[in-house]
Amino acid sequence: MAAITESGTPIAIDGSRKTRRSLTKARIRWVIAALIVIFGAVAGRLVQLGMVEQDNTIEGQTRDLITASRPAILDRNGLELAVDIRVPSLFAEPRRIIDVEEAAQAIHSVLPDINIDWLRQRLTGDKGFVWIKRELTPAIQERIMQLGIPGLDFVTESKRFYPGGTESSHILGAVNIDNQGIAGMEKDMDDEGVALLQSIGLARGNELEPVNLSIDLRVQHVMHNVLADALTRYKAIAAAGVMMDVHTGEILGLVSLPDFDPNNPVTALEKDRFNRITSGIYELGSTFKTVTMAAALDSGKVRVTDSFDARFGVRFGRFTIDDFHGKHRVLTVPEIYKYSSNIGTIKVMQALGKDEFRAFLTELGFDKPAPIELPERRQPKVPEKFSEIVAATASFGHGLSISPLHMVRAISAFVNGGDLPVPTLYRTTPEEAEKRYQPVVSEETSERIRYLMRLNALEGSGSRMNKFAAGYRAGGKTGTAEKVVNGRYDSSKSLAVFASAFPLDNPRYAMVILVDEPRNENEQSGRTAGWNAGEATGRIVQRVAPMLGISPEFGDILDQKLVPAELR
Amino acid sequence: MIRTLNIILVITSICALVGVYALKYSVEETASEKAAIQRLIERQEADLSLLKADWAFLNQPASVGPIVTRHVAELNLQTLAQEQFGRFDTLPMRMKAPDSGALDSLFEALDSGVDPIQQLITEAE
Repeated sequence: MAAITESGTPIAIDGSRKTRRSLTKARIRWVIAALIVIFGAVAGRLVQLGMVEQDNTIEGQTRDLITASRPAILDRNGLELAVDIRVPSLFAEPRRIIDVEEAAQAIHSVLPDINIDWLRQRLTGDKGFVWIKRELTPAIQERIMQLGIPGLDFVTESKRFYPGGTESSHILGAVNIDNQGIAGMEKDMDDEGVALLQSIGLARGNELEPVNLSIDLRVQHVMHNVLADALTRYKAIAAAGVMMDVHTGEILGLVSLPDFDPNNPVTALEKDRFNRITSGIYELGSTFKTVTMAAALDSGKVRVTDSFDARFGVRFGRFTIDDFHGKHRVLTVPEIYKYSSNIGTIKVMQALGKDEFRAFLTELGFDKPAPIELPERRQPKVPEKFSEIVAATASFGHGLSISPLHMVRAISAFVNGGDLPVPTLYRTTPEEAEKRYQPVVSEETSERIRYLMRLNALEGSGSRMNKFAAGYRAGGKTGTAEKVVNGRYDSSKSLAVFASAFPLDNPRYAMVILVDEPRNENEQSGRTAGWNAGEATGRIVQRVAPMLGISPEFGDILDQKLVPAELR
Repeated sequence: MIRTLNIILVITSICALVGVYALKYSVEETASEKAAIQRLIERQEADLSLLKADWAFLNQPASVGPIVTRHVAELNLQTLAQEQFGRFDTLPMRMKAPDSGALDSLFEALDSGVDPIQQLITEAE
């Protein structure tokens, strides 16, 4: 369609078809633009959602770590030493709390021990997560739920519970509030890989296999009981004991008093609560004579039939070493042991040679901390080289300090046929233990030592022990070591030790008991180790032997068999 | 032609809409059911762990021991002594045949009003 205008130029009017086409084009453009905007918005939102980092942590720790559980710890017979319980923990989301004052008051009404000002301050703000109180009881959870305050919720956490309380504290150690081991076997298990499982979130629920320890809870209970009794009976400042299977090196009981409650690990930090068996080192006194005898008899330079002159004290410069209850005559080797003669023992050691004696101590592992899973271990103090006088005092257990665990390990080796076992707190089979054996003395020496230990129980300082443990063929050596106070030996303060094994006709268990600074039980009793550590040993043997399947035997046929052929 | 197609498409989309929403709601419901069950399991596991801990505690020598000491006097409990252990070979062998003569005399004594066992007890006292 065309028309003539006044100016003469023709006006072109688009045809309806063309108009519609351009109109359609414009609409399509608008639609395209709208679609781009819409899809752009969707894409943008997707990108935005992808960028959001989800906060899986609770105050710096991953949620997995907090809800992670630990494997239950069982004793060798399957009784629980440590279990996990699931407990609710209260947290708040301050950004969702509407009325801080009301919430604070309400929580305070259920948990009155929380400071209300602290609570107010805790609930104010824009945080997404704050702990209010961890490890509550289900009853309190119920009451807080009933308050109906928005922004409060619970996380189920795992809390460690030790049903035995203080009884096995030094073995188990403790965990912190995040369920991580901080001492004892709990810490060892973490180092062994439980911590790794927890951090990658695999340790949840009941998925973890329980761990069997070598501990026998019955033995542990008896030992704890008797030692607690010894503390009051002899008014001692501390007492400790350890029992070991002489063949496998498994620890059946380990007690150190005063102890702590692992359910309240703060108590572990109090003074004198350390593990005296593994991280305490002591001059173990005359119990060391067993070591000297074993060394001398094993070398072949001293025979059990030999005699030594113990008439006069041994002089070193201005010092003279004499006997505590001296016989002052010529003594045979069994007599030296039985009467605990210092002079005789020095002579025996000298017959062996001081360097050989020192080398024997290295063989027994007295230069290194005793190998055991517990992280609480201490380096023993044994002089690098022995001078004449140091060797002399060392032969009866002075001038060198080792842990009671070292001693019980050595006694195990002396009575089990001469193989030094590796102490362990996990359950082990004899086959596995044998692979780690280290021969230290011969079978023959082992027989002689068994005889000497039994002899001491029958006729020597172990007779008070034997009164309680009659029939169980127990034997051992006492040691009463004077303590060093301000650089001198103080005769009023002593450490009483009893190192024993039973039943000696077929040795199965070795035990070391110490009582720190014991006093006389009554006027008639003495203060030396036989009266306290010895009696405690006897009481323990009397109670645990039947549990361990050892039946009492009376009559002296078995004792006769222990006597070496050359002495019969 | 196009009209029919449109109608079919509209109906299909309405059906799809209804279907998708139904699915969505059923999934939501299942999810909340699952959460509820999970909470229940968690709670029951927590209860179970407490009961197990309780059992472990009550079973401990540490908790049984004091109960025993509390009842020592009433029940006359004593530590097992070595002499109280017996062996099978210390038991006398069973007799080959019953001693009928002794039994007969016992019954005769009982019939005549004399109780030899009671006599033994009174003598012992």
